[in-house]
Amino acid sequence: MDAIYKLIQHYAPKIPDLLALALAVLLPIAIVMGVFLTVFALLTWVERKALGRIQNRRGPNRVGPVGLFQPVADGLKLLTKEDIVPAAADKVVHFLAPVLTVVPAFMVLAVVPVAKGFVPVDLNIGVLFALAVSTGSVLALFMAGWASRNKFSLLGAMRSVAQVVSYEVPMVMAAVVILMAAGTLSSVGIVEAQRGLAGWFVFKPWGLVAFVIFQLCAMAEVARTPFDLPEAESEIVAGYHTEYSGFKFALFQMGEYVAAITMGGITVTMFLGGYLGPGSDLPKIGWLVSAGWFFAKLGIIVVINIWARGTWPRVRVDQLLGFAWKLLLPLALVNIVAMAIWHFASNKLVGWGASAVVLAVAIVALVKINTGQTFEKRSYRFIS
Amino acid sequence: MTIVFLTLSAITVLGALLAVTLRNLVHCLLALVLFFMGIAGHFFLLKADFLGAVQILIYIGAVAVLILFAIMLTRNISGTEGGRGSLGGAWWLGVGIATTLAGAMCVFVRRSDLVSKLPYGATEEGVVKEIGKLLVTDWVVPLEIMAVLLTAALIGAVVIALEEEKKR
Amino acid sequence: MSVPLGYYLILGGVLFAIGLCGALTRKNAIAVLMSIEIMFNAAILNFVVFWYYLHNGALTGQMFALFAIAVAAAESAVGLALVISVYRHYKSVDVNEMRSLKG
Repeated sequence: MDAIYKLIQHYAPKIPDLLALALAVLLPIAIVMGVFLTVFALLTWVERKALGRIQNRRGPNRVGPVGLFQPVADGLKLLTKEDIVPAAADKVVHFLAPVLTVVPAFMVLAVVPVAKGFVPVDLNIGVLFALAVSTGSVLALFMAGWASRNKFSLLGAMRSVAQVVSYEVPMVMAAVVILMAAGTLSSVGIVEAQRGLAGWFVFKPWGLVAFVIFQLCAMAEVARTPFDLPEAESEIVAGYHTEYSGFKFALFQMGEYVAAITMGGITVTMFLGGYLGPGSDLPKIGWLVSAGWFFAKLGIIVVINIWARGTWPRVRVDQLLGFAWKLLLPLALVNIVAMAIWHFASNKLVGWGASAVVLAVAIVALVKINTGQTFEKRSYRFIS
Repeated sequence: MTIVFLTLSAITVLGALLAVTLRNLVHCLLALVLFFMGIAGHFFLLKADFLGAVQILIYIGAVAVLILFAIMLTRNISGTEGGRGSLGGAWWLGVGIATTLAGAMCVFVRRSDLVSKLPYGATEEGVVKEIGKLLVTDWVVPLEIMAVLLTAALIGAVVIALEEEKKR
Repeated sequence: MSVPLGYYLILGGVLFAIGLCGALTRKNAIAVLMSIEIMFNAAILNFVVFWYYLHNGALTGQMFALFAIAVAAAESAVGLALVISVYRHYKSVDVNEMRSLKG
C-alpha cells in the first residue's frame, strides 16, 4: 500500500494527495479481486474438466474452445434465473446469508502475500487474522440454513457448524508449530522465514505433519467433498443452500470456491514457501517470477483438492467428528512437542531424527488406537 | 478518526440494543455477533490488533457458536420466545435501573479529569511479540491458572450437560 | 486526531447499561447469558481503552483483556451447559420457572 503510494507520487506528482491515497488503497483491492475472481472462474472449469477425466467423461466442451467459457455461461444463466424466496423464510436473514458467505473469503485475501513485495495489508497478526476471519463463514452458513425454514437446510447448517468448529481446533494447533518456527504471525514474515535450500516448512518432519493436518482441516473447513456433509446431496438434498436459486446460489458457490482458494493460499504461505522459488529475488522481474511461483503452488494444492474430491467417498458424521477429535487433535499436540524437541536439539540432525521418531511413534499409536473399533448398532430414541 | 469511532460505536450500540430487545433468539444471536464485530473493530482502532483477532476468534468463532448450539438444543427450532419480563410485569424496573446506571456513569465520567485525555502515544510495532514474551515470563502464573480453569470448565461443562443422560 | 478518552468511557458505560437492562428484563436464560456477554465485552473494551490512553509502555491492560476474554469463554461454556441441564430437568429455559431449590 505504502509502496504504491510512493510510486504514484514519484511518477505522477501532479495527482492530488487524497486521490493518490485513494488509488493506493483501491488499486491492490482491485488487483486482488480481479485476479482471484479470474482464478475462481478458471477453477470451476478446471474442476469440472478434471472430475470428468476422473470419471471417464469429457466434462464441459460446448462453450468456447474446450469449454473454457463455461463459467461465463453458467454465470449468465444463474444471473437470469428467477430468485425464489420461500414464503415462510426469514426474509432479511435469507438475503444476508449469501452476501456474508462471500465476505470472509475475500477478507482473508487481504493478508495473503501473492508476490514478492505484494501483500494488500501486511498485518503483524496476519495468520491469526486469516484463521479468525475464516471462522466467520460458519455463521453465514447457519443463517442460510436457519432462514430457509427447511429441515434439510437446518440439518445441513448444523452439520456445517459442528464440522467447522471441530476442525478449527486441530487447524489452529497445526498452525502453532509454524508460528513457533517462524517466530512471527505476519504472513510475509513466515514466507521470509522459509528461505534457503529445503527451507520450506513442509520439508521438516513437524512441518510435513502440520501440513497434512492443515490441508485436511482446510478441506473440511470449506466443505470439500470427502467432508461435504453440510451439502450431502444423497442425504439432505443440498444442505444449507437447498432453498436458494439464481444469483444467491451463485454467491454461495463463489464463497465456497473463493474460500477454497484462499485456504490454499494460506497453506502455500505457511508450508510451501509462499512466493519463494528460484528466481523470485531477481531485481526487475522478481515480482513476476514470484507471483508465478505462488500461483503454481496454489495450483498444486487446488489439484490435490480436486483429486481428493474425485476419488474419495464421503465420510460419515461420526467418522468426520471422530477423525478431528481423536486423531488430528492429539497428533497436532504431539507435533508441538516434536517442534520443541527440534528447537532445543543440540544439532539439526539430532533434532530431525528425534522429532521424526516422536511423530512416527505418535502416528502409529494413534492409528492403532483409532482403528479396529466397531460401532454399536444405531439406536433411535424418540422424544415426544 | 472521529467519524470512524462514531460509525463503529453506532454499529456496536445498535447490535447490543437489538440483542437485548429482539424477540427471536436467533435474531438476538445475530445482533450479538454484530456487537462482537463492533467491539473487535474498536480493538483494531485502538491499535490492539492481537486482541481484535482474539475477539473474533473466540467470541464469533466459539462463544456465538456455543450459544447457537444452546438455542438449538433447548428451544423449538425457530427460536421464538414467548412473552418477556423476568421481573413479572415490572420490566420497566429493569430498564429504569439500567438507565439510572448509565446516567450515573455519564455524570461521573463527565466530572472526571480523565475525560479530555488523549492517547499516550504511538504504540510501537511488535506488541504481539511482547505479549508472547510477557505471557511466559511475568504472567506465567496467571497463564497456568487460566489453563487449569479452562480445562476445569471444559470437563465441568461436559459433566453437567451429560448428567441426565447417564441416569437413563 | 483521536477522540478523547471520555467518548470511549461513555460508550463502555452505555454498552454495560444495555447489557444490564437485558440481563434484568429477559425471560429466557440464554438471552440473559447473552446480555452478560455484552456486559463482559463492555468491561473488556474499557481495559483496552485505558491501556491505549494511559499505558506507559506497559502491556498490562491488554493482558487483563486477554485473560478476561478467556474467563468469559469459560463462563459461557459452563453457563450454557447449565442451561441445557436445567432445560432437561424443567423442559423450559424460562428463568421465572426455576424456583425450586430441590432437584
